[in-house]
Amino acid sequence: MAQILPPWINRLPLFAAVGGLVATVAVVGGIWYWGSPKFTDAGYRPIQPVPYSHRLHVGEMGLDCRYCHASVEVSPVANVPPTAVCMNCHKLVKRDSPLLEPIRSSAASGHPMQWVRVHKLPDYVYFNHKVHIAAGVGCVSCHGRIDEMDVVTQMQPLSMSWCLDCHRNAGPNRRPVSEVTNMKWTPPKDAKALAAKLEQERPVHPPTECSGCHR
Amino acid sequence: MKTHEVKPGREYWRSLRQKEQDPAFLEVLHREFPEGASEPPDGMTRRDILTLLGASISLAGLAACRRPVHHIVPFVDPPETVIPGVPKHYATTMPFGRSACGLVVESHEGHPTKIEGNPRHPGSQGASSVRAQAAILNLYDPDRGQSLLQGGSVKKWPDFVAAWKELEKGHLADGGAGLAILSESFASPTLARLRSVLLNRFPRATWAVWEPVSDENVLAGLKEATGRDLEPQYDLGRARVILSLDADLFLLDPESIRHGRGFAAGRRAGSTGGVMNRLYSVEAAYSVTGSMADHRLRLPASRIAGFVAALARAVAVPGAPPGADGLDERGRKFLNALASDLKEARGAGLVVAGPRQPAAVHAAVAALNIALGNAGTTVFYRDPVHAALPSSASFAALKQKLDAGAVTTLVVLGGNPVYDAPADLKFGEAMAKAKERIVVGDRVDETGAAATWFIHRAHFLEAWGDARDASGTLSIVQPLILPLYDGKSDVEVLALLGSGADTPGYDVVRLTWKSILGEADFDKKWNRVLHDGLLPDSGAAPVAASASARPFGDLETLAAANGGDNGMEIVFQPSNAVHDGRFANNGWLQELPDPITKITWDNPALLSPKTAKSLGVANEDIVRLEHDGRTLELPAFIVPGQADGTVVVTLGYGRRNVGRVGRDVGFDAYRLRGSTAPWIATGAHVSRTGKQAMLASTQEHGSMEGHPLVLEGTVEEFRRKPDFAQELAEAPHEEGEATPAGHEGGHGESEKRGVTPPGLALFPEKSYDKGPQWGMTIDLNTCVGCNACVVACQSENNVPVVGKDQVRRSREMHWLRLDRYFTGDPEGDAQVVVQPLPCMQCENAPCEQVCPVAATVHDSEGLNVMVYNRCIGTRYCSNNCPYKVRHFNFYNFTKDTPEIVKLAQNPDVTVRARGVMEKCTYCTQRINEAKIDAKVSGLPLQDGDIKTACQQSCPADAITFGNLRDGNSKVAKEAASPRNYSLLAELYTRPRTTYLAKLRNPHPDLAAVVEEHG
Repeated sequence: MAQILPPWINRLPLFAAVGGLVATVAVVGGIWYWGSPKFTDAGYRPIQPVPYSHRLHVGEMGLDCRYCHASVEVSPVANVPPTAVCMNCHKLVKRDSPLLEPIRSSAASGHPMQWVRVHKLPDYVYFNHKVHIAAGVGCVSCHGRIDEMDVVTQMQPLSMSWCLDCHRNAGPNRRPVSEVTNMKWTPPKDAKALAAKLEQERPVHPPTECSGCHR
Repeated sequence: MKTHEVKPGREYWRSLRQKEQDPAFLEVLHREFPEGASEPPDGMTRRDILTLLGASISLAGLAACRRPVHHIVPFVDPPETVIPGVPKHYATTMPFGRSACGLVVESHEGHPTKIEGNPRHPGSQGASSVRAQAAILNLYDPDRGQSLLQGGSVKKWPDFVAAWKELEKGHLADGGAGLAILSESFASPTLARLRSVLLNRFPRATWAVWEPVSDENVLAGLKEATGRDLEPQYDLGRARVILSLDADLFLLDPESIRHGRGFAAGRRAGSTGGVMNRLYSVEAAYSVTGSMADHRLRLPASRIAGFVAALARAVAVPGAPPGADGLDERGRKFLNALASDLKEARGAGLVVAGPRQPAAVHAAVAALNIALGNAGTTVFYRDPVHAALPSSASFAALKQKLDAGAVTTLVVLGGNPVYDAPADLKFGEAMAKAKERIVVGDRVDETGAAATWFIHRAHFLEAWGDARDASGTLSIVQPLILPLYDGKSDVEVLALLGSGADTPGYDVVRLTWKSILGEADFDKKWNRVLHDGLLPDSGAAPVAASASARPFGDLETLAAANGGDNGMEIVFQPSNAVHDGRFANNGWLQELPDPITKITWDNPALLSPKTAKSLGVANEDIVRLEHDGRTLELPAFIVPGQADGTVVVTLGYGRRNVGRVGRDVGFDAYRLRGSTAPWIATGAHVSRTGKQAMLASTQEHGSMEGHPLVLEGTVEEFRRKPDFAQELAEAPHEEGEATPAGHEGGHGESEKRGVTPPGLALFPEKSYDKGPQWGMTIDLNTCVGCNACVVACQSENNVPVVGKDQVRRSREMHWLRLDRYFTGDPEGDAQVVVQPLPCMQCENAPCEQVCPVAATVHDSEGLNVMVYNRCIGTRYCSNNCPYKVRHFNFYNFTKDTPEIVKLAQNPDVTVRARGVMEKCTYCTQRINEAKIDAKVSGLPLQDGDIKTACQQSCPADAITFGNLRDGNSKVAKEAASPRNYSLLAELYTRPRTTYLAKLRNPHPDLAAVVEEHG
């Protein structure tokens, strides 16, 4: 009987096995990478109604974070500043800038500004700013070098595993409370010694259980 | 699960079906889930659901491609004191008739979310009631009146002001002869001042006061007994012997919180070595108060007059009327024991009669209290100050005036007389005869619909005002929010009518308070009062009352008339939930199971088992009640422990114009209620109709099989053997296993939780030896069963309302339920025990072991944590929970929640979606808040820093929560009490919620009777 199929057909199962393996790895790897918050969420930089530049205000002019985000030490939320805070300065500075028109009209009409939320956690997460500030977690740790951003960008994935990485080993992310808003602070050479000192001064016990953040 | 033999001794049952071991009940018990609780929603097969599920997954996938844009909307010009994310608390007052409940209300970003009692207020002392807790939902009621209407068309307040200025010209001309005002009763300095201003301006105007549910009889009786207008206030904390005659001191009474506090103090004394109070109750139908009684006598309400006369003879009060008592053997024994107790506890006894009893009974009660030296020690009489006393005579007179056409302008200042006036008065028809009908009401209800001018009334959380409570303490009604719909308060309307000028409520109230606080330093004092919520020591001084010459006036005739067999009597009672009907559109209250019947969303006619048998009526059979030519058909419900021959009908249901929640719920009992016998209608006729209706009672929901669940003993037993409860509780070991209840490492010295015998544990045992270990104890001895905790939990934890149909299917969502057990002879004197049941937070939790997705897990502080976002809704956990405290969202119950109602939700708690299991978490949001505050401040948590919502609301302080590892904490001490026991301890679940056994304090002479009936 003549052979109908060519001889390479014999190797088809091998090809299929290898091909299947490669495809599986590619699909899993693809979802792993492109589906993770590191890819989907980090880097989010929406257009704001007013192109407020943190680089200018914080980086160049040296405003402290808490001038605008005033409730960060006493409240779960850091608070986006009310229009009145912008007008404290812009009553006098750049009074005619067309870019600031939305701020001026908000102040005049009483209609609030609608800023676009950049750092968004799911509704079932109850994040609390004040306790992180008290523990000495710098603004930079989660928000990145805001002082270098013209447009605020989400720098970290803000995923649960990312939260837990720090909650399980908070030491490297702690600093003296006085340095929390310091964008340029760098850990001393002996970072471990500082972490140990801070832990001794103020043990934090960050929760790693569901009830810590979900209610 | 192995069926355990019930130990000899007391038998407890939830329903007559269980008592009789009805096959239908046994099926409920043996099913994995109650019928309906495991079936998919109606009209949908499993395949339909899968199809829909598939579609929604693919659609959800598409929708997730774009990140939704969320906006942050900050203030433009922020109020100085508001910090976003930090709730604020303000003191205010909830006026309720002539009573007032001092409150502290939590407000998130300007909208009130949670009501608590004001710890400084002598009435509430930090606790609250069902009504106070639920009042927040009334504020956000989407069916409230939202605009001012003239004959149905929308107008503005200035339009009304202008119209009134026209209208008042005519009335000013003739001194207000054609002007009539119908108000609710109140005790408020500002309203009283405005009333006198108005009556000065219109001297010939009529002022009538109508309350469908009032203490008018109490006032009339006191007047009869002492010859003057007095109102009573009771101090149960100082009373050793209390007799409640048809009174419900712990739930229906406006001063229920004060009474609950006092009574619990007297109960607690018994468990701490002091003298425990003894409560006698004589009543026709079970009230919450009756359920707490050490001795209870079932007596038709109409025969209580005879009982009081007999009691007066037995304690030898001068002038006691002669006559036969008509009591049986048991009744006479009861009377003798009671009389000897009252005589012995001279000055520390207390006799209270319910507002339903006729004035003659109240006169006799006052004479008894005065003769027994109780007046001035446990009962105080005061002159009513700043009060509008309820008067059905003034109401009837107004009706006559209306009929005669003598009233041209009728102002209805709150209340709903068209709905709740006695049926024979036909008030609706009379009202139509007035040319102008100005109605101030919270909604366009039955009365509002008959108005020419409807003014939408501001809620008490939106308005300025003031009030006095029963002790006369003055407090301020302070608004937490501007009127949502620009409504007007009674104060503002009355100020306009009385002065012709439109004045803001704030100014009106301040003007009143200038005369109270004095002009000097007024602002400082005023701010202090606002901060505290009350003016301390402003209570009126009690007056020394002496009995008049003939305190027993009509008692003899009354007793004689009702001595024999009067046929059936119909007893009307306000609803334990919706009161006189004013809360009918409140979903929390409609779905709140009645403390005794466990009925939700309905008001059946309550019958005793014997009466039902003689009528041939079963549960849910519709009966026809006839009295005085009026009829009412409504379903029957059989309640053990009720007097034979008494039918109890609940008021406040069957509303027609009330809103989406309360419309046509239940039956309108006001249609049966006449003005001659508004409370107790004797000579009624009851018949069966052969028709049926459906009732939703939760009494069998969450039944636990055959185990001793509620433990009780007597004070005597407790004294002899403090650990009697341990013997009654099934030991957590059987079949000779030598594992005594013992300690476990790191648990604190106190606990007596069983150690799992070797070989029985499926999973490695967790050790709980670090950090705080949360636990709760519930003292069954002090719990009065008032339901406040259930509503507090609902409000704190965003627990949804599911509706009558879903409740019938056992799908009610209450995280904390009150199990009510009967014990004793169902056809005789059955006793009641109540047991609140939150999640037990088992250390060895059966629910966790069966969850396939680890959606319910334990944290290191001993909480059984529910992770909503992981839950896929298998309901295995609920199936495996021996306590049945887990609840499943069969529908997206919150999806259609109107925007305005969402404002009432707690922003610190997740709103659960469809398909998710939920349960009590010990208020984990409060625990975490306190922990965070402690971390930020650097100060350690103190015992008592964290209060769960149920604990905070409890008037009896029956619930204690705290750290079991801290040996000095209150909860650890209570857990170490010999009365402490765990529910279903033999299952080795090791619950963190434990109970303290109930104590009763029977009279030695009556103990045998108790045994016999128990």
